[in-house]
Parts: sequence; structure tokens; C-alpha cells
Amino acid sequence: MWRLNKVRHKAGRPGGSLEELRLKRRENERALRQARRDRQLVSKRLLLNEDEEQLDVSMDAAPGGHDIVSLLHKLQHSGTDKEAHLKALSKVLRDPSAQLTFIKHENSMHLLVGLLTGSNAQCRLQAVRCLHELSHSSHTNVAPACLPATPYLLTYLSGPSTKFTELCLYTLGNMCPDSDVVREKLLAQGIIPALASCIENQRHNLAVVEAAAFTLSQLLQARDAPEKIIPMVLKSTLPSHLLSVLTPDPHFGLAPAIECAWCLHYLICSTEDNKELLAQGALSQCSSLLVSLGGAVTEGNKEDGIELLIWPLLRCVGNLLSSCPVEDLNAHLTDAHLPASLCALVQAYLHTLPALARETVWVLNNLTAHSTEFCSALLTLNLVPGLIQLLPFSQGINTMILRILANIAHKKKEFCVKLMQLGLLSALCATLKMADQEMVIRSLDILFMMTVSSPVVAEEFVRQGGLSLLEVLQYNGAAEMRQRSTYLLEKHLLSYQQHITVDNMPDP
Amino acid sequence: MLQPEVVQLRTEGRDEQQERRLSESEEGNNPFSFTPQIIRLHKDHELFEDGDIHRHMYLQDLYISEAEDKPALSVSEFACHISGCSGVFSALEEYEHHYNALHRHVCCSCRRSLPSARLLDIHIQEWHDSLFTILAQKQDMYQCLVEGCGQKFRTSKHRKDHLIRIHKYPPDFRFDKTKKERGRRETKRKEQKDAAMEVVDDVCESEGVCEVMCNSPSDEPEGGESMETHECEEKASTEDVLAAAQDTEGTSTPPRKPQYSYRIPNTVCFGHGSVRGFGGRRGRRK
Repeated sequence: MWRLNKVRHKAGRPGGSLEELRLKRRENERALRQARRDRQLVSKRLLLNEDEEQLDVSMDAAPGGHDIVSLLHKLQHSGTDKEAHLKALSKVLRDPSAQLTFIKHENSMHLLVGLLTGSNAQCRLQAVRCLHELSHSSHTNVAPACLPATPYLLTYLSGPSTKFTELCLYTLGNMCPDSDVVREKLLAQGIIPALASCIENQRHNLAVVEAAAFTLSQLLQARDAPEKIIPMVLKSTLPSHLLSVLTPDPHFGLAPAIECAWCLHYLICSTEDNKELLAQGALSQCSSLLVSLGGAVTEGNKEDGIELLIWPLLRCVGNLLSSCPVEDLNAHLTDAHLPASLCALVQAYLHTLPALARETVWVLNNLTAHSTEFCSALLTLNLVPGLIQLLPFSQGINTMILRILANIAHKKKEFCVKLMQLGLLSALCATLKMADQEMVIRSLDILFMMTVSSPVVAEEFVRQGGLSLLEVLQYNGAAEMRQRSTYLLEKHLLSYQQHITVDNMPDP
Repeated sequence: MLQPEVVQLRTEGRDEQQERRLSESEEGNNPFSFTPQIIRLHKDHELFEDGDIHRHMYLQDLYISEAEDKPALSVSEFACHISGCSGVFSALEEYEHHYNALHRHVCCSCRRSLPSARLLDIHIQEWHDSLFTILAQKQDMYQCLVEGCGQKFRTSKHRKDHLIRIHKYPPDFRFDKTKKERGRRETKRKEQKDAAMEVVDDVCESEGVCEVMCNSPSDEPEGGESMETHECEEKASTEDVLAAAQDTEGTSTPPRKPQYSYRIPNTVCFGHGSVRGFGGRRGRRK
């Protein structure tokens, strides 16, 4: 089972100050971002021993080569005590240089596999632990060296021992990202059906489910996954199992649900048409789970790590909406609280995780794009004022909010009048002054729709001094702004300005 | 990533509003093209970056709860969209302040920006009204600049003396230069501007653009004088109270290069100068 290992708990470690840890964390983050840009975002998990509290990376001066060789020698020749030697080997193998020494040594893997499949259960456990340490290596040529072990690891997935199965799973999961060759072999050896029956048979054992889902998520992130892996997964029983694990178990915690949600996200965003997943109820399940999580968050129940589950669920809903025809929307989205929950999530995470807030408003856009009903819901549930208040926030948030408001205005002229009553016009008078061109152009788009909808709106805009804003834009460098403002002024608004005289022009 | 157009037709019940808009767009000149779109995001989309990083930090045992790590939330900046002006502001109030100071009370004829409606009125009257010139030969026409004083004087020199003696104004009050001084003041201001360039250097480019626009011959029929601050040069002056606000804007935001070459035609003038003056009138536009 995975503990949410928080960095701050390591503060008490000798030799590690909080500041050092923050630096390390920031460095790691930078490396991850670069890796993602290179499409090489890969992570491995290391299952710690029972006696280990946390990962102790500060190793003593390299035990290195000699230890490995001597340990291997002992394993080959001593009859008894193999278990102790294996245990020592697994500790040594945490060191990267030792890992490289090991795989270069002739027969080392053969020896290990022999012990993995031998009659001594304790030796098997220690042998898989050695393999697990090797799989965690950051050197990409270490994992392929472990290939001889994989058929056995896969066979053991249906075994009864939790700890053993977990180690097998995480080892396989760590090996997946390292090379195409490894993945090809694993697929040929039947990793997908093995994972499916593992989850099915061990459904009650959430630690194993978590490990299996993690391994699957590693497979699904591969570059060639959409062609080689995902079709196979969709045909298997895995999707329905993943969906069944989504609701977190209150005792065990969020971890298994988190892994399953990320698997679903990788499946959905890599597939153009998700009708199979829709048919299995993916949209309704993800959305109702989001609603209950949104409710918990609003009540102040922000369990640590809950955003790790909210994040992939948002993405699943957002992308599934593009596969769902608008007339079927109601069949899938039975929970009427979805719009309100989404708005609540935006507010809850705006300052702490703005990227999450941004993805939430993306989902709101997809929800309102073609559905008059959801647009109407935003109005009747009084969610629009909250959205308008988000218009100052940049980096993708306010542009998406304007999209949502435009979606609403686009549907009915009554909606435009309502939007005006909620203060959208004065908000637009501010957004028209923003430096971001996209904000100005989208504001003009909304203004056009609202002006055309009703003379009341046009008059109100003129009354608020909007004409001068548009006049300024007529001479702006961007053609899109010039054309729109000129068109609006000439075709629609100038007729109103005759009512305006110098006296009733608004003061600064 | 974008929903194909087919989906749009499935929108429930097109109503009058959409019909009206459709017929408008069919006219062909309508530049508005917004249509609601479902946005599909693939696995590697940049919008997903932060979430992916968060996920992988968790996998690598580097998870940090939100309370400890607060990323900065960005707020949109505002920008003055008047052609030639490159002002960028972090708050709406700053923008409004800028606009009111520089663009609101602008004289249509000479593009000078005045700090208040009243001073603009007086400027237009004294500089661009031929009737004023005629009347001034026979009566006291030069009003005291102090609001509420009400006194009038035969010449601007008399007024200036009054301002200094009675209202304790400095002898070099910016908003009371005579027309004849303009020439000298212009060159003096240009020197000042060069010195001030190091301080407020984001606006240099706009000044360059402005000079092209504002130095056109039709602008200054009466000859040299700069009683008021020139609309574009305002930013260069460092003594002005407003400059303090400008400076902070200048140093905190990166310079925005005006990429456009749009000259506003001389018949168009922003600000209330166009309404009060006898020159152009709002509404009469091609």
C-alpha cells in the first residue's frame, strides 16, 4: 500500500534541512518539466522494505563492485544462508553503480531467476526484491537485462501473497517505460490479460489493485500506446474494473482510485471516439464522483492528495464530453449538481492550484458548448456572478471563462438579457481594456451577440460609456479588433448614440 | 482536437437570435465568427503540464500538500489601445488614471492633452478660436486659471502676473505658457526628454511614433508655443506628478513595441476635445 509520503516529514532527517529538501524538490520539478517537454516523462516507484521508513538516498561511500561479486559468489556456492545473501544483495542493489556491475556480470540474472523460481519461498521473496531494486534504476539498459524474469513475474501475478504480488507488479511497472523492446516482450507474454485477471481476482485486495493499476498506467503512457496497447486494453475487461475501483474506499484511502483514474485518463485522451467507455458508464461515474469530491472539498474536507484524484477525473469528463452527442448528455450526466460542483472546485483551488482551476473551467466550457440546458443551469443556479469575478485571472483562466459566457450568450437572447442583468456589460468594459488580445477579441464577440439580442442591451452598453472603448479599438494594430469594433459601432451602436448628449456622458 | 462542425447543428432548437445572426453573417461583411466549441485535449497538451508534474511528483515521493507550496496566480494586465500609446498597467485604476490624464481632455486641433476639462476649454478658446482673438482685442478675455476666481484679463501676461501675485503660482507654471514661448520650450523639452529617456525608457518608442504623427504640419498653425503638455510627450517629463505613476508602470512591465503603423486620421480625436472644440464632431466619421 502506498503511503502519501510527504516531504515535510523528512525534515527531521539528520543532514537534511527543510531548505535543502525544497531545493531538491524544485530541481526535480524542473527536470520533470523538461522531460515532459521532451515527451519523456517517466516515473518509477520503489516499494520500501518493512523496516524502512523513508527512502534513504544518502549512501555510504560506494560499496560497489566488490560486494556484488562476492555476494554472487556466495549465492552460487553456499548451500544454506541464501536468503541472507539475497537480502544483503537487495540492499546493495539500491546503489546505481552496483546495479550496473550486476548486469554486466555474467550469469548474474540467470542466478537470480533461478532463485526467483526455486522452492524456497523466502528466497523467492528476496529475489523479487532484488529485481525490484534493479527495475527502479534510472539507467535504461538495466531493465532490458531483467527480461528473463518477466514470464515468471507475470505468472506470479495470480498468486496469493500480497507483498510478493505487489513487488512483481511494481517491478513490471518500472520496467515498462524503459524501452520498446521491453514493452513488446511484455505484451507478447500477455501482460494485459494478466493484469486484468489480477485485478479481477484480487479485487478485495486494494494494495494489489493499486499496484496493478500503476503498472497499467505505465504501459498506457508509452509513445506507441495508442496504436499498440490501448486497443488491446479497451477490448479487455480492464476498463470496467478500473471504473469499479474509482470510488475511494474510506479505510484504505485514495491511492487505488488515483491510479485507476489516471489509467482512464490515458485511455480516454488517446482515443478519438470513446463510445465504448461511454457505454460502460464512464462519463456518469466520473462526473458523479467529481460531484461528491467537489462537495467534500467545499465543506472543507480537503483530504491530502484529493486533487490527485480530482485532476484525472476532470480530464476524463472533459474529453468524454467531446465523444458524447448533446442529446445523450442527460442520460449520462444524471447528477444535476455537476455545474455547481465544478464552479465550487474552481473557487476552492484558484489560489492554491490555478492549473487545476484552469482545467475545471475547460470542462465547464465543454459542458456548455452545445447544451442549452447546462447554459440555463449556470444562470438559474446563480453561478454566473462567480465566473464573472474570475475575469481578472490570466494564463488561460479568463479566456476560458469568456468562452463559457459566450457559449451562454450564443444560445438565446433571453440569456443575453440575463447576463446583462448580472453585470456582464460592465465586466466587458474592463476586459476590453486588457492587454491580452484574445481577451479583447472574445469580449467583442460576446458584445456583438448581446447587442444583437436586444435593444435594451445595446442601450445599456452605450449608457455605460462603451462607445469610447470601441472607438479606441477602431485604430488598433490588430485587424480583428479593428474590424469587429468598426462593425459593431457602425451597424449596431451608432443609432443609439444620438440619445447621448454631452451632459449625460458618464464621468471618469 | 476541435469538434467537427457537424456537432453544431445538433444544438437544441435554433431560435430567433441565432437566425438573426446567421442572416447577418451571410451578408459577408460580418467579422464575428465565434461559435461554441468543445475542446478535446490530447495527452501531451500544454494545458495538462502542471497536473502531470503534480502526478509524477507524487509517484516519486515528492508530494507536497497545497498548504506548503503556493504557486502564483497571475492577473491580466491592462493596456492602452490608443494607437501610438504603449502604456501597460497592472490595475484597472492605473489604466483609468492614465487615460484620464493623457487621452481624455485632448485638443482636437493640436493633440495636446490637458489635465482637466476646464483647462481644455480655455486652451481651445485661446488657441484655436479666431473669434476669441478678435474679441480679445477689445475686451478682457483671458480668464484666470484658478477655478472660482472669475477674473479676466486683457493679455496673457496680465493673467500670469495675477496668478503669481494673487494665487502664488510659480512663474513657470506649465499650463500657462504664451504661444510665443512654444518654440523655445519645445527644444528645451526635447533636451529634457533625452535626459529623461534613461528613466522611462519603455515609452521612448511610443514617443517616436507619436512624433511622426503629431509633428505633421497641419497640427500647429499658430506657430511655436507649448502651454500644455503634448499628448505624447507627457510621459517624458519627470517633474509632473503623474510621471511618478508612469515610472512605476514603466519599470515594472516589459516594453511593448507598437507593431502597428496605423496613423489616426487628423479628423479623429479621442477625448472630449472633439466635442467641445469647433473642429471635428463625434459621429461624423467615414
